[in-house]
Amino acid sequence: MDTPRNQVERLGRQDNPFDPEFPETDLDRIAALAPFKDMDPASFSKKQPLRMILQSDTRLRRFKRGEIIVRAGDYGSSAFMIVSGDVRVVLPPGLPDRVLGRREPAKRSVFRAVAQLWANHRNPEVRTPEELGGGGSADAESGSRVFLQDVPRLIGKSKTVTLGPGEFFGEIAALSRMPRTATILCDSDDAELLEIRWQGLRDILKHDPALRAHIDALYRKNTLSNALRSFPIFQHLDEEQLAQVAAQTQFGTYGEYDWSGDYKKLAKAGTNSIDKETVIAQEGDYPDGVIFIRSGFGRLSKRFGSGQRTLNYLGAGRWFGLREITHNWRDPGSAVPFQYSLRVIGYTHTLFVPTRVMEQVVLPGAPNSLLPRPLTPDELDVDDDDPLKEQGGFAQRIGPELMEFLTGRRIFNGTATMVIDLARCTRCDDCVRACAATHDNNPRFLRQGPVSSGIQVAQSCMHCVDPVCMIGCPTGAIHRDASAGDVVINQATCIGCTSCANNCPYDAIRMVEARDPGGDFVTDKEYRPILKATKCDHCIDQYGGPACERACPHDALKRMDMTRLDTFATWLNR
Amino acid sequence: MMRTTIKRRLSGVVLLLAAVVALFWGHRQLVPVMRHLAYLTGWFLLAVCLFLTAYNARKKLPFLPLGNSRTWLQIHAYVGYFSLALFFVHTGWRWPSGAFEAVLASLYLAVAASGVVGLVWSRIVPRRLTARGCEALYERIPMIRRKLAEDAEALALASVATTRSTAVADFYKLHLAGFLGRPMNGWRHLAEVRSPLMRIKALIADLDRFLAPDQRKVLGELAVMVAQKDGLDYQRSLQLSLKLWLFVHIPLTYSLLILTFLHVVIVFAFSGGAGAN
Ligand code: SF4
Ligand code: SF4
Ligand code: SF4
Repeated sequence: MDTPRNQVERLGRQDNPFDPEFPETDLDRIAALAPFKDMDPASFSKKQPLRMILQSDTRLRRFKRGEIIVRAGDYGSSAFMIVSGDVRVVLPPGLPDRVLGRREPAKRSVFRAVAQLWANHRNPEVRTPEELGGGGSADAESGSRVFLQDVPRLIGKSKTVTLGPGEFFGEIAALSRMPRTATILCDSDDAELLEIRWQGLRDILKHDPALRAHIDALYRKNTLSNALRSFPIFQHLDEEQLAQVAAQTQFGTYGEYDWSGDYKKLAKAGTNSIDKETVIAQEGDYPDGVIFIRSGFGRLSKRFGSGQRTLNYLGAGRWFGLREITHNWRDPGSAVPFQYSLRVIGYTHTLFVPTRVMEQVVLPGAPNSLLPRPLTPDELDVDDDDPLKEQGGFAQRIGPELMEFLTGRRIFNGTATMVIDLARCTRCDDCVRACAATHDNNPRFLRQGPVSSGIQVAQSCMHCVDPVCMIGCPTGAIHRDASAGDVVINQATCIGCTSCANNCPYDAIRMVEARDPGGDFVTDKEYRPILKATKCDHCIDQYGGPACERACPHDALKRMDMTRLDTFATWLNR
Repeated sequence: MMRTTIKRRLSGVVLLLAAVVALFWGHRQLVPVMRHLAYLTGWFLLAVCLFLTAYNARKKLPFLPLGNSRTWLQIHAYVGYFSLALFFVHTGWRWPSGAFEAVLASLYLAVAASGVVGLVWSRIVPRRLTARGCEALYERIPMIRRKLAEDAEALALASVATTRSTAVADFYKLHLAGFLGRPMNGWRHLAEVRSPLMRIKALIADLDRFLAPDQRKVLGELAVMVAQKDGLDYQRSLQLSLKLWLFVHIPLTYSLLILTFLHVVIVFAFSGGAGAN
């Protein structure tokens, strides 16, 4: 019997393998390599044995000398293992963007942009045959290949490290959903690399602790010094001193990789309170070291009355405890404990440098400009003053209610959060209409959401620093655009499993029933509707940026980077 | 530090005043040298009106990088004020004698007035809506109201069995069912008159004194629903006023444009065109 026009095959994760044509012989070869050959098959589930993970989540890629494998700053969602040949890691400052062949996210042609005036479909959620059939590449990094000529000249003053067969790289970016920290080039005439998408890496790590230990050891060897150097307080150290610090640095991982489930449960029950958060450092305790945040977030709070007042949230690149430790080092006679508490919110990686190392290696040679201000007697005064008032600055301009709201609801995660000033919003819905007009007549957000102090956080994708939605996606359809960093969904590889929609803590993803260009609902062979995940794509392919923000006549709607509270405070008080 | 909004408004007003002064001065200079100066001011006014209408076109083209709607609205408002000055210069500060021109002038003034009223209203209403709470999307208000009415009815009916008394159910039927069933007090909400809600609250308070604790609990829940329904009515009334305003301003604008083109045709037909000076 012929398949009706509007019926398609229902896709599963295995139907969207990373490499649809991964030859069995190559698979045998990979399975026979360390560390895979040493893994215990019994520790993997029957439903998903190691071989199946390798088959669906890895692919072999070949590179030529000078070819860029990953670029610093890109959001990658896969790690690499070198099978043969060498690669060269270019350490910061690295290569300029121009050399890296970085491209703008593809915009629509002017004609296609204008054509939206008449060519948008009348029916909602129409998909093209390509978007329905699967098979498109969800990998934002594999689109274009860039070769560098005259590598030594381009590398210039940047230091490089060479990695050889059996070594891993890119796993930190893949697992912590952070941008790549270094550019890596092929350093052999011909190198073969096994690329593992993060879903596979996650599954392998879950079943094999040895690989986790191996990856930690690699991190210490390859990346830690760079990670430390990215914090200003270590910038004056020479190699030997930095190695001393690195040797004593401890890694901390807090919270759940998939934190959204717990958060949603607590938020639904209305019991999502600060008391439930893991304390990394406690106000009043002896400052035993400085905590540097590698990824994720911490809540900075201070006792106020019988509760805690949130003063700020600290994201990647921030630190905690340096001020107290510097104070004590300068004036051991009047040593102070931690002045604030740091609690983990979400999934947070930290680096912990003990006080002894700070006092002996880091602080003595540090220029004054890098050292924090001494604690003033006023700040140390234990009284009942509102800590927010003492703090001054943006936290005070934002106000306690809104600060608690942003932190409690984890809004700090958004780099493009849709905030609406309800005191200006006339509820005209020009924003919604503009979004629909630019998305084939389908608005990609709901102009509703929680409100605090007259500010509404609308139900729209916030393009999170930590996009938890990506965790469960079996095909990598939801990914970060390599150049813009926005979280987008590849319709061709979305299998409608609803994992991302269930994972997003902000209910920003909507599952829709797809229609074909004729307007009929598309079904599988059992006549069940084909679902696709949809959300705000930050108008990545539109001219002029977010149409919603541009369409608001009353300056009420803003896509705000909530990791920059100072900008938010300025906007609030505009 | 001066807020950016205030700074922006100040610069807008200064620019507007400068433009108006320049217009009056320029016009004065040209009066002695140009016989048919009204043609020039007329064309200028038409161009300004077309520019003002272009804002609506911008709204229809969100996919083109034509600038922010916010900037457009500000320019639209200031150019709108400027057009008033231009209108008076064009008419020579006199009310037109012909019937057609009088209609045209009235239409122009109606468009301008609806613009100013709309602008002021759009600054006032959001604050009021936000301060009142009960935020709801306009399209969802009927659905929420229906649900509220159904819940209230179910609660009142159930109270007959749970409290073994018809006191609350009777009260619901007599005083609340009508109120909860449909939008109420639209104009009063616009005028911020709270007396209808106060009246129902007073009735509730009055009954409350005579009830047993379990009945009182049900009445308390109904009182919360009444307050929510009043909030919804408030949202509906004010949001609707903002929507309706555009239904006045925009059709008036297009009518004005059509009459203006007719005006141009008539002027040229009867005067022999702009060259005849
Ligand atoms: S879908 Fe949700 S979790 Fe993912 S980036 Fe958007 S808001 Fe964040
Ligand atoms: S940024 Fe674009 S896609 Fe996202 S809500 Fe705004 S208009 Fe819609
Ligand atoms: S366009 Fe602006 S004023 Fe209109 S509904 Fe959207 S946010 Fe509110």
